[in-house]
Amino acid sequence: MGSLGSCTVVKEYEKVNLNDPDMVLGTKAIDRFEVNAQAYREAASGANGGKTGGGCGCN
Amino acid sequence: MKYSISLFIILFSAAVFAQDSTSIYKKRVLEAAEVDFLTSYYSQDGDNAAVSGGIGTEKLTNFTPTIVVAIPLNDDDVLTIDAGVSAYTSASSSNIDPFDGDGPADPYVASSGASASDLLASANFSYSHSSDDRNNIVSAKVSVSSEYDYFSLGFGGSYTKLFNEKNTEISVQANVYLDTWQLLYPIELRESPTFNELDKKNRNSYSLGFGFSQILSKNIQGSLSLDLVQQQGLLSTPFQRVYFSDLPDRFRENFHLADDIERLPETRFKTAIGGRLNFFINETFVLRTFYRYYFDDWGINSHTASVEIPIKISDRFTLYPSYRFYNQTAADYFQPYNTALSTDEFYTSDYDLSEFSANQYGFGVSYTDIFTKFKLWHFGLKSIDVKYNYYKRDSGLNYNLISAGFKFVRN
Repeated sequence: MGSLGSCTVVKEYEKVNLNDPDMVLGTKAIDRFEVNAQAYREAASGANGGKTGGGCGCN
Repeated sequence: MKYSISLFIILFSAAVFAQDSTSIYKKRVLEAAEVDFLTSYYSQDGDNAAVSGGIGTEKLTNFTPTIVVAIPLNDDDVLTIDAGVSAYTSASSSNIDPFDGDGPADPYVASSGASASDLLASANFSYSHSSDDRNNIVSAKVSVSSEYDYFSLGFGGSYTKLFNEKNTEISVQANVYLDTWQLLYPIELRESPTFNELDKKNRNSYSLGFGFSQILSKNIQGSLSLDLVQQQGLLSTPFQRVYFSDLPDRFRENFHLADDIERLPETRFKTAIGGRLNFFINETFVLRTFYRYYFDDWGINSHTASVEIPIKISDRFTLYPSYRFYNQTAADYFQPYNTALSTDEFYTSDYDLSEFSANQYGFGVSYTDIFTKFKLWHFGLKSIDVKYNYYKRDSGLNYNLISAGFKFVRN
């Protein structure tokens, strides 16, 4: 929790772990189909990089 | 005076040299062109088809070959073209006309007519520009998609600002989709003298999104996002049947003839608030988490939570086990099969708008070759991703989804 509350700036050379492809703050390219299927089958959408409504016959 | 002029020339030269240096050593936003071949196969089953008013087969398959090409136009600008098709077969859509098959019409049996399959073609073009210091990014996009009974034109833009030594990022994006339906009604209603046809066939969607992300430590970063969406126009689906409990039931063969199609309000306002938190545990494990709260003015509230734990088992292979939980309350207008009232203003028996919970289990494998040894023309294979998801609702619907992606980079 200490690190969560910290306001310390992480320098570029300290971002090795943060730059790992699995640390990206979003969905990966292959996940687009999963997000799209959920947009069709569920009422909720948005806030995840996928469709928010419109552009498809989905909810 | 002579000394001052010399000093000015030296400083001016230094400044010019510094600018040249910046332009020479500026890292390209995208080093080389990238091509992603993406595809998926989706197979769904269930017994609550909206086309037949909340009963009947929901069998559906979908195949989606897609190509995404990202081209660096110069050091700062990237053009991305994303094009694909979605070919599907749908048992419930085939029952828009259930009487054109070989056997007796039945909501639990697919018909074989023209509505049994369709092809959606789509293309997105996006252009992004990054400032020299990479702290400002603007982008614009245009999209178009078309299938037999649906056409969509979309456009939008975004602005992203990084600061605090790129530890903090804020963004705003806006999108507009202008969609048009071809009004395709259930076959038995097309000649009905009492059926009131829809007076709109357009659906406009306007979305505004805000994003905030923050590096919290050398191993943790998170983000918050807010999406606001206003939709107007035809928000019901023209071929989804509704049966009224206060009217006598009528059958032809084994098929319950529709009393009406679903009727839904012509406006809907959606709000989605999401958060992500990613934790680099060590060289082997990463923890990826996501939560979203959603609500709209149709009475739907929803929670979504997911977790994924990438496991690096070698330099080249990573495993991706994942779990996702979803639930939602029902829309105010949802009525199960044959329970709506003819006196109601709005009604639907689409179980996608019912109350339910769903669990999804996923597993993926990724192969990465940073040396891109395998070549295809001028491109080297950088990574292969394969993922499987199994999704099940507590109301019965389930689907299997297999996705694959091949990333190539220009050498």
